[in-house]
Amino acid sequence: MKGVPTTVLTASLLLGLIQPSSLLAADPDLQKKVEALEHELEALKKQVKETDRKMEKVEGKSLGRWLTISGDYRFRYDYMSGDVAPYYQLNPANTQADGSDLFIPVQGQNVKNKALYTNRFGLNLDAKATQNVTVHARLLMYKISGAQDDAALRGSNGQTYFSDRAGIFDGTVGHVPGSSNLAVDQVYATWRNIADQPLWFSIGRRPSTGGSPSHLKENNEKPGNSGVPQLLVDYAFDGMTFGYAPDIDALPGAYLKFCYGRGFENGITTKSGNGLSDTDMAGFNLVPYDTDNLRVEFQYNRGFNIFNTPVMLTGPFQGSAPAVDLGDIDWYGINLLGRIKHVGPGTLNWFISGGLSKTHPNDNTVKVQLQTPIDGFTTTAGLLDTQSGLMWTGAKENKTGNAVYLGCRYDLDGSRTKLGFEYNHGSKNWITFAPASDDMWTSKVGTRGSVYEVYAIQELLVEPISSFKSKAFFRLGYQYYDFDYTGSNNWVGAPTKMADLTAMGAMGPSYGQMLTPLKNASNFYATFEVHF
Amino acid sequence: MRKVLPSSIALALFTASLVTICSPAQAAEVKMIATIERIELKEKSATVTLKDTKSDKHVSVTVNDDLTLDKLRDKRILEGDEIRLKYDDATGVATYFRKTAGC
Repeated sequence: MKGVPTTVLTASLLLGLIQPSSLLAADPDLQKKVEALEHELEALKKQVKETDRKMEKVEGKSLGRWLTISGDYRFRYDYMSGDVAPYYQLNPANTQADGSDLFIPVQGQNVKNKALYTNRFGLNLDAKATQNVTVHARLLMYKISGAQDDAALRGSNGQTYFSDRAGIFDGTVGHVPGSSNLAVDQVYATWRNIADQPLWFSIGRRPSTGGSPSHLKENNEKPGNSGVPQLLVDYAFDGMTFGYAPDIDALPGAYLKFCYGRGFENGITTKSGNGLSDTDMAGFNLVPYDTDNLRVEFQYNRGFNIFNTPVMLTGPFQGSAPAVDLGDIDWYGINLLGRIKHVGPGTLNWFISGGLSKTHPNDNTVKVQLQTPIDGFTTTAGLLDTQSGLMWTGAKENKTGNAVYLGCRYDLDGSRTKLGFEYNHGSKNWITFAPASDDMWTSKVGTRGSVYEVYAIQELLVEPISSFKSKAFFRLGYQYYDFDYTGSNNWVGAPTKMADLTAMGAMGPSYGQMLTPLKNASNFYATFEVHF
Repeated sequence: MRKVLPSSIALALFTASLVTICSPAQAAEVKMIATIERIELKEKSATVTLKDTKSDKHVSVTVNDDLTLDKLRDKRILEGDEIRLKYDDATGVATYFRKTAGC
């Protein structure tokens, strides 16, 4: 092996080092100029560093770094039609002491609204307050054109078809159309990455409305760790969540969260109380697998001290407030959501949800004040015991109901067209807690019977400006409700088969009704929506 | 006078340099919570530059898995988003890349 001649290498290096110095030494002016340039360069470097520092400071405080604003606007047209079943209406404004006008026979008839217009506006604010702590707020207005209340969702004489549309209450403000008031629909603070672990705690007015899979029909993003299963809960709760999302290779996206919400606040009472308790909801949501292609979700929640009625803010029952606790309800749910890409020219989104409700009633029943007391039926003050409790009438019993909800949406990616179909069915004793759902007649997932829905979404082929997620689209849809039993979305009293509504007993009508029962209902709707 | 480096020393230095440079890479997994600063999408991968929220250090990782790439392409994961990240520091390939959980 040959070595490198070190003398040659050393000589070359020395020559290279010495030469520039000798040149500069020969020209003092040039040396001065170089020194001046070096000073200028140093000064410039300092200046740039200072500018960078200032820029970083300004960027750090700029709104865009910590605040995100987004929102949505929707105009909606509805054509609503329904067939009232023949029935006997309970008449609290009775005048006859013998009870002869306590029940009024009502003939079957068709009712409709050919043109209901609504405007909905939502504004979202997301603030990164500190490291790991964020605050989210959603302001919401949902107004009926030509009105400042929700009376248009009922009949001309204040006929109420469904309890979740009897009036607006705390859990439905901003979700059932009414006035032009901008309500705080959501506001909550979230503390993430607790102890550097995938743990979070969130508290405030919760995102417990519009749960999965309603995002498909609403053309929204799939919810992440937030939200609720649509079949079980759609109610604006004030509450909290504590969640954990472990990193398990075999279970991507897995998380578990405990949720709690308050449905009614009983206020200050004496030690003996007022016979009521706060109404609360608590449960857990387990998602063992969550990817774009498959999401598996389980939920259990329990409603404690279910009230007979919420505090009604509008409508014929305005001013009504909980008068009695009826018991507790357990709910169990499973939700499978998936996506299959490259099905023909598009993508297929699908879902299957199942739910189970089980009531645990106490002995309490609902009482109605009549105008005229009836001997043997009412108290001397005219208070009528309806003998109806939590999903029972006459004899107290636990009731178990079930429901299934399935559907799909096919997305033609090139033309941004989306076509959807949904079906749900609820059994006789099915009860959910979803009065804030985006349905005009009544929350369809609470139906005791079947609901069919088809819809088409056409997004405008325009580039987003305000954010990557911004879009504008039209939506056309049609819903058909086929009711098997009365009392969809109502937990007071036993459901009655539609065909039995005119049955007579020894004491008169066997199944007098407080609300107007519909045999079927249909709703055609068209919207123009902008998300920004 | 002509001096040469002894061949034995040169060989020893060469071997030592090889050992230093080519010692088997210890594929250590690095975990962090980081904010996305830059996303460069390519055909079958993406290079994402992030800033560690604790140390403010910048890291650049390669994302290869299709589901995360979908989210990057669909803008469901954006610059400014906070990510819980795991990557192999020998290859720079992300093995876990998800938005931090919350809400």
